[in-house]
Amino acid sequence: MKEIKHGYFSKIEDERTWSGYPVKIFYTEEDLKTKDKSLPGEFPYTRGIYRDMYRGRLWTMRAVCGFGTPKETNERFRFLFKEGETGLDVIFDIPTMTGIDADHPDVRDEVGVQGTSLCSLPDMEEMMDGIPLDKVSSSLVITSYASPVILAFYIALAQKMGIDIKNLRGTIQNDPLHHRFCGYPEEFTPTELCLKTATDIIEFCTKNMPLFYPQNINAYDLRENGLNAAQEIAFSFGMAMAYIDACLKRGLKIDEFGPRIAFYCSAHIDIFEEVAKFRAMRRMWAKLMKEKYGAKDERTLKFKFGVHTAGCSLVPQEPLNNIIRVAYEALAAVLGGVQSLHCCAYDEPLALPTEESARIALRTQQILAYETGVGRCADPLGGSYYVEYLTDKLEEEANKILEEIMRQGGMVNAIKSGWVQKEIDNFAYQYQREVMERKRLIVGMNIFRSEAQGKPIPVHRISKKKRMEQIRKIKNLRKTRSKRDVLDALSALKSAAKDEKNLIPYIVDCAKVYCTMGEIMGVIREAYGMRYDPLGKLQSPLK
Amino acid sequence: MKRIKILLAKTSLDGHDRGIKVLSLAFRDAGFEVIYLGKMLKPEEVVQAAIDEDVDVISLSFLSGEHIEHTRKVARLIKKKIQKDVLFLVGGVIPPQDIKKLKKMGVHEVFPAGSLIEDIIKFIRENVKG
Repeated sequence: MKEIKHGYFSKIEDERTWSGYPVKIFYTEEDLKTKDKSLPGEFPYTRGIYRDMYRGRLWTMRAVCGFGTPKETNERFRFLFKEGETGLDVIFDIPTMTGIDADHPDVRDEVGVQGTSLCSLPDMEEMMDGIPLDKVSSSLVITSYASPVILAFYIALAQKMGIDIKNLRGTIQNDPLHHRFCGYPEEFTPTELCLKTATDIIEFCTKNMPLFYPQNINAYDLRENGLNAAQEIAFSFGMAMAYIDACLKRGLKIDEFGPRIAFYCSAHIDIFEEVAKFRAMRRMWAKLMKEKYGAKDERTLKFKFGVHTAGCSLVPQEPLNNIIRVAYEALAAVLGGVQSLHCCAYDEPLALPTEESARIALRTQQILAYETGVGRCADPLGGSYYVEYLTDKLEEEANKILEEIMRQGGMVNAIKSGWVQKEIDNFAYQYQREVMERKRLIVGMNIFRSEAQGKPIPVHRISKKKRMEQIRKIKNLRKTRSKRDVLDALSALKSAAKDEKNLIPYIVDCAKVYCTMGEIMGVIREAYGMRYDPLGKLQSPLK
Repeated sequence: MKRIKILLAKTSLDGHDRGIKVLSLAFRDAGFEVIYLGKMLKPEEVVQAAIDEDVDVISLSFLSGEHIEHTRKVARLIKKKIQKDVLFLVGGVIPPQDIKKLKKMGVHEVFPAGSLIEDIIKFIRENVKG
C-alpha cells in the first residue's frame, strides 16, 4: 500500500514552535534565563493577575454573535444566554463598521451578511431587547471609526432604560491603528480622526463609566492577518503605547485610564507557545507600565486580556475536526490565565455559525471550566522548564521587535512607512509556502487529505428578506423622526467637532433624537474637511 | 509560450485580503503575470481593468457571505463586455452548497478556503486557452 509511508515509524519532524523558534528535546533549569519567582497575583503577574484566579471568578464566556437584523441577533443572544453564556459579544456588518447606513444604495448586498446591521438607537433597542444592561457585560466588536457612535447608542439606550451609566460593564474595541492592517482604507477610516475620537472615548469613560473598558487593543486581527506570537505581542504593545501617549498628551494621568486598558488576543494551535505568550505579555506589560510610564496603581500594571481562538487555523475540509482545534486553543487560553474567552464555531471556514455550531463552541469552554479541572489551580504550567523557557524566549523576541518599532519613532510611523504591513505580508506568505511545502502540516488539508468529503454540512443562511426589512426600517425612521431635532443635534455636533471638543456627549444627543450612524459620522467627516459620504453618493443634510 | 496574465480583485466593502495577497505572490512565483487590483472595487472597475489589461484569468475573493450577489454582477459584465475566453475563478469562504450556483453563473472553478495553491496553479495552466 503506497498510503503507508512511515507507518509505525512516523515521528515528529518539525523541530520548531509555530512561530519558528527551535525546540530542544527537553529542558532543564539551566535553560531558564529569568529568575522570576513571583506568585500568581504578584508583580510582574507572569503567573496571573489574581491570586485566586478562577476560584475567585471564572473567565467570562462570550460567543461573538451578530448577523442579519438587530432582531435576529437578539434572538441568538437569548439562545446563548439560555445555554449558559455569561457575557455578550456583538459584531457588526461591514457597512456599520465603515459608518455607512443600511439604506445607502451601494451597500445593499452587504447589509447583515458579516455581522448585524446597526444604524440607529431603535436598532440598539431591538438588539438589546430584554437584556438588563446593568447586569451583563457587553463586548462591542466595532472599528474605532464607528466606535463613538455605537457607544453613544449604548449609552442613550441605558439612559432611556433609567440605568446609571456608571454601572455599565463591558468593552468597546475602539482601536484606531487596527484599521490600517485590517482592510479599511485610510479614506474610509482616517487615522488622525480615529485617534482623536478614540481618545475622546477613553476620556469620557474614564470620567463617567469607570467599569467600562473604553479600548480593547486588537492583537487578534493582527495575528490573523499573518504574524507570529512575538510579533503579536510587539505590534499590539506598540499600538497601546501610541494610545497611551495620546491620552497623556490630553492631560490624563496613567493611573486614571491605565486600569481600563485591555487586549484582545489570539490563541493559536501551538498550546505551549501560546501559554508562554500570555505569560510573557503579562510580565512585559507590568514592567512597561511601571518603568516607562511610572504607573503605581496595581490595576494599571495588570495585563487583562480576552481571547478569540484562531479563526485562521480552521479549515473547511472535514469541518468537525475544527471542534478539536478550537478545544486545544481554548485550553491554551485558560492555561494562560484568560479573562474572557470566545471559541470559534467549527463551521466558520464555511459561513457564519449556526445555532448548533455556536452551542458547541460554548460547550467547549463549559467542558473546560466544569469537567476538566484545568482552572482549579492558578498557572498550572508555571515551573515547567519548557514553558518558562518559552516565556523568556517570547519576551526576548518581542522586545527585539519593540525596539525596532521605537527606533522607527513608534507604531504610527512604523505603519506610515509601510514597514508593519510588509512584516505582516511577508509572514503570511512564508506561512503559506510552508503549508505548500508540507513544512507545516494541517490534518485533512495538506496531510491525510481525504478525497471523499461527504455531504456538505448545513450552513447558516442570512435571510435576504429580513435584510431588506432592515433597509426599509431605516428609511421609515428617516420619515417619522423630528427633522428639526435631527438638524439641530447634527449642527451642534459639527461645531463641537470644529472646536476640537470631546464629541461623545454630542453624539449621545444625536443618538437620542434618532440621527443615524451615517449622518453622525458624515457630519464629523465634514468638520474634518472630508466628504460627507465616504462612497461619494449622498449629500449632507446640513447643506 | 505566452505568459499567463491574471487579474485578482475584491469587490464589496469587505477587507479580508490575506488570502488574495498570498495568492498574488504565489502566482507571481509560479511565473504568471499578476495584477492585484485591490479591494473595495466596483464590478465595473474590475471588468474594465480586465479588458484594458487583456488578461487571461479573473480571480475574485470573498470572505463575508457576499459572494453570490457580487459574482452575479461580475459574471454578467464579463459575458456582456469581454470577447475573448477568460477563465473566471472565485475563492474564499464559500459554502460547498453554493459552488454549483456560482458555476451556473459562469464561474469556471471555485477554490474555497483550505484549497491547495498548487491545485489552483495546475487548474489555471490546464484551462487557459490560447
